[in-house]
Amino acid sequence: MKLPPLKSRTAALLAVLVPLLGVFIYVLLRSGPLAPIPVTVANVEKRSIAPALFGIGTVAARYTYKIGPTVAGRVQRVDVDVGDKVRAGQMLGEIEPVDLDQRILAQAAAVRRADSSLLAAQAQLRDASARWSFADKQAQRYEKLLQARSVSEEAVAMKRQELRVAEAVLASARAELEVARQERVRNEADSAGLIEQRSNLRLVTPVDGLVVARNADPGTTVVAGQSVVEIIDPVALWIDVRFDQLSAGGLRAGLPAQIQLRSRSGQQQRAHVLRVEPLADAVTEETLAKVVFDTLPEILPPLGELAEVTVALPALPAAPVVPNAAIRRVDGQLGVWLLDDGDLRFAPIKIGATDLDGGVQVREGLTAGDQVVVHSRRPLSARSRIKVVEGRPGVAL
Amino acid sequence: MADLQRGILIEGLRKRYGEGDTAVDALKHVDMEVAPGEVVGLIGPSGSGKSTLLKCLGAVTEPSAGRMTVGGEIIYDNGWKIPDLRALRRDKIGFVFQAPYLIPFLDVTDNVALLPMLAGVSNAEARKRALELLSALDVAHRANAMPAQLSGGEQQRVSIARALVNRPPVILADEPTAPLDSERALAVIRLLNQMAQQYSTAIIVVTHDEKIIPTFKRIYQIRDGRTHEQAGEGRELE
Amino acid sequence: MISLAGRDILHSWGKFVFTGVGLGLLIGVTLSMAGVYRGMVDDAWSLLDNSGADLWVVQKDTLGPYAESSSLYDDVYRSIRVMPGVASAANVTYLTMQVVQGGRDVRAMVVGVVPGGPGEPGQPGYLVAGRHMTRGHYEAVADTAAGFKLDEIIEIRRNRYRVVGLTRHTVSSAGDPMIFIPLKDAQEAQFLKDNDVILQQRRRTSENPAFDRPGVPGLLDSIITSQSTNTYVNAVLVVIKPGYAPEEVAEPIRRWKRLQVYTRTQMESILIGKLIATSAKQIGMFLIILATVSAAIVAFIIYTLTLGKIREIAVLKLIGTKNRTIAGMIMQQSLGLGLIGFIVGKIAATLWVPIFPKYVLLLPGDAARGFFAVMLICLLASLVAVRAALKVDPAEAIGG
Repeated sequence: MKLPPLKSRTAALLAVLVPLLGVFIYVLLRSGPLAPIPVTVANVEKRSIAPALFGIGTVAARYTYKIGPTVAGRVQRVDVDVGDKVRAGQMLGEIEPVDLDQRILAQAAAVRRADSSLLAAQAQLRDASARWSFADKQAQRYEKLLQARSVSEEAVAMKRQELRVAEAVLASARAELEVARQERVRNEADSAGLIEQRSNLRLVTPVDGLVVARNADPGTTVVAGQSVVEIIDPVALWIDVRFDQLSAGGLRAGLPAQIQLRSRSGQQQRAHVLRVEPLADAVTEETLAKVVFDTLPEILPPLGELAEVTVALPALPAAPVVPNAAIRRVDGQLGVWLLDDGDLRFAPIKIGATDLDGGVQVREGLTAGDQVVVHSRRPLSARSRIKVVEGRPGVAL
Repeated sequence: MADLQRGILIEGLRKRYGEGDTAVDALKHVDMEVAPGEVVGLIGPSGSGKSTLLKCLGAVTEPSAGRMTVGGEIIYDNGWKIPDLRALRRDKIGFVFQAPYLIPFLDVTDNVALLPMLAGVSNAEARKRALELLSALDVAHRANAMPAQLSGGEQQRVSIARALVNRPPVILADEPTAPLDSERALAVIRLLNQMAQQYSTAIIVVTHDEKIIPTFKRIYQIRDGRTHEQAGEGRELE
Repeated sequence: MISLAGRDILHSWGKFVFTGVGLGLLIGVTLSMAGVYRGMVDDAWSLLDNSGADLWVVQKDTLGPYAESSSLYDDVYRSIRVMPGVASAANVTYLTMQVVQGGRDVRAMVVGVVPGGPGEPGQPGYLVAGRHMTRGHYEAVADTAAGFKLDEIIEIRRNRYRVVGLTRHTVSSAGDPMIFIPLKDAQEAQFLKDNDVILQQRRRTSENPAFDRPGVPGLLDSIITSQSTNTYVNAVLVVIKPGYAPEEVAEPIRRWKRLQVYTRTQMESILIGKLIATSAKQIGMFLIILATVSAAIVAFIIYTLTLGKIREIAVLKLIGTKNRTIAGMIMQQSLGLGLIGFIVGKIAATLWVPIFPKYVLLLPGDAARGFFAVMLICLLASLVAVRAALKVDPAEAIGG
């Protein structure tokens, strides 16, 4: 069969249609659901990872002293303000004594009165003593006179009676003296008590420190237990850190840590874990810990400033490690997509520790040298057609 | 009359348009005969029924009464006698028009070869026949060109080739020389005569072109729907 | 027999191809529209797939968490965790808000997820760059549609987050990109307003004599603290142990915990039936109109092309061409036009679809259906022209 000669017209039309068809087929195969999925792969390496814990905390003072009255009263004066440095024993302010001073005077007067009562009782005792002494001598003389039959029985009995009366009066006088003595002791004690209370109205700081809060100004009525001035020890600072319980495994005292204060982003301060609180926060599901700076920063951070704390756990022995982006969940199982001679296979794995850069230890399921899919443009299945590409760092597939 | 049978024979043809009072007889009574190889002229004023006669003879319009015999076959006898008029036109009747009416999207060869292809002839055979005719008509050198690239005269010759390619016994030519000058017109008539003789075709040429009327040996005049035969001058053509 | 349609197309191929391209763009629009609908449905399914959950536990009598807002206490998950058939249960919060980065802000759905690592319900299923979150605060994984790059710092409410991972096609049902942050940060973001509002609130609380009682020092502070914490989440995502049917696990939770639980099929019908239904109808209407317009245009074009050939058709009929052949020529041209149009349309749709702001999914099935629809429309549209062609009287070729 002889083919008809190709006319220029036909050639022109074919020149348009054939490339069009070509583009069409390309478009059908290369885009949409039929196209192969670009993926990046990585080799499973056997290395040791250094897991770390991450928590958020606030700068807090280790010791906070809340100075306030032990009885209700009105604040008379406050001598310090926020930011003042104070020395131990310094008076910070005073609560109005109200009637306390007058009561002290009254009590002092009562003490003096007790003194006088004591003197009177002593005098009375001497008097009773003297009478007894005389009555005793009289009774003895009259006994002798009775033996000499100079006096009557009746006179002796009377003298004996007088002696007995004098004895009773003497005992009574002794007792009175004791009462007066005890009265005096009681009044003295009362007086001392009032003075003690009076001194309590003076607010005095027990330690050197910095005033951080002034909660009541003069004239304010305060109740017992309410703090008027709060003082902290400025160099005793720690970070009150909260770790999410899911990622707080291995936290214990003594571990090294890094602190990054919110106002100083980029600067890491060396620190260590002081203690892990025995009481965790059950509501927010966080473990609490206290972390202290190894050396205090020159300029102290303000209390309450947020800090990010990273606690370094000891490095673990080498084990196969994959990037956490490679781990996926398929049909309820955790695993990775393995590249097996160009075929895709899902391998379930058991994971171990993780570090903060995304490295995950694989306890079971992979060996070093396996190739796993890390990033993929679309979800994968066992039947997906894939195309391995070079990932450019930071650029999405 | 065997010769005549293979040509055209029309007897008592009548064509009425409309009905009742508004009826118009475009053809009242037409008798015509054309022998194979003969070229006759059909002349008459406009409105006299020339086109109607051609349409009836060309099997595109149904006459009202009469008999038509084409190529020895009675095609109409007070009713169509051929079931497939289209095949009749394709195989038995060739048309040459005022304008060439070539199919603009087919090349010259295919324009001519189309007819045999429609008749079921293979493409290769049809093109072979087409090329033969084109050479006979001296336009074979334009065989691969598109109609738009040909001159008027060349196009006309191609249309004549198309009319002849299926070797129809009859060719109906409707004002074939109207747009042409005298030299070209005569050339066309010469060609028609040549082809008629060569292929024994009976040809009717409807015309009012004074330039070619003298060349006919026989002329039919049609007036008011009736034909009158008369002798033509039969002027010689080189 | 030669192909008349083919010869005609070859002869005026410029006009034909030009018309085909125009028709193709129209078809491309129609295919894109269907793709928009598929994209919306796919977004909804992705939303459900990406959450990695088999059951969604939400507030009773709500359609949440996507179709309606729902609030649960954040310790409810503990009691769900121990119900039979539950493999894992995790809190999750959703909030659509503006996220700021470098001077511009982006509308995104901020998802608070439990930072248990990859594979936990709520966490993104796969990444296209970077890694999953490892720290319990101030890290984020964002969708590329938000326009963030790795290691950029973004601001959500009052906190700054570092973008550590990127995902693709994790979007909300409204098409907003998702940004995953740790749950506690998200709870704070959902609840805590900006500093001014917080100060106002504190002031109001401390002016209330019921809260600022002198006999109870520390009462005011406790109240302010309790006002500043958020103990709510929007839903609990549950993963079922293998071997349990979803309804089997869901029903006890519904009955004993008095919460609403939706299985995957129920969530699908909520998302598609409630969230997408109106848009789907909108698009459906539009598709019908487009199809009708396309049919009309094809009919008009073919009709005009045919009318331009009336004389040739008359001649062809006169010289003996079958009606069937002429009808076939017209229909073949119509189908040819449709074919060119479809090819151009599919190419155009594939090329311009990535520019759309929301996800457009062009399925091969839709393309095939579209192809047959185009061919059918062309065939039917050509009938008008065929009818005109058949009515042509061959006698017209013979000058009147």
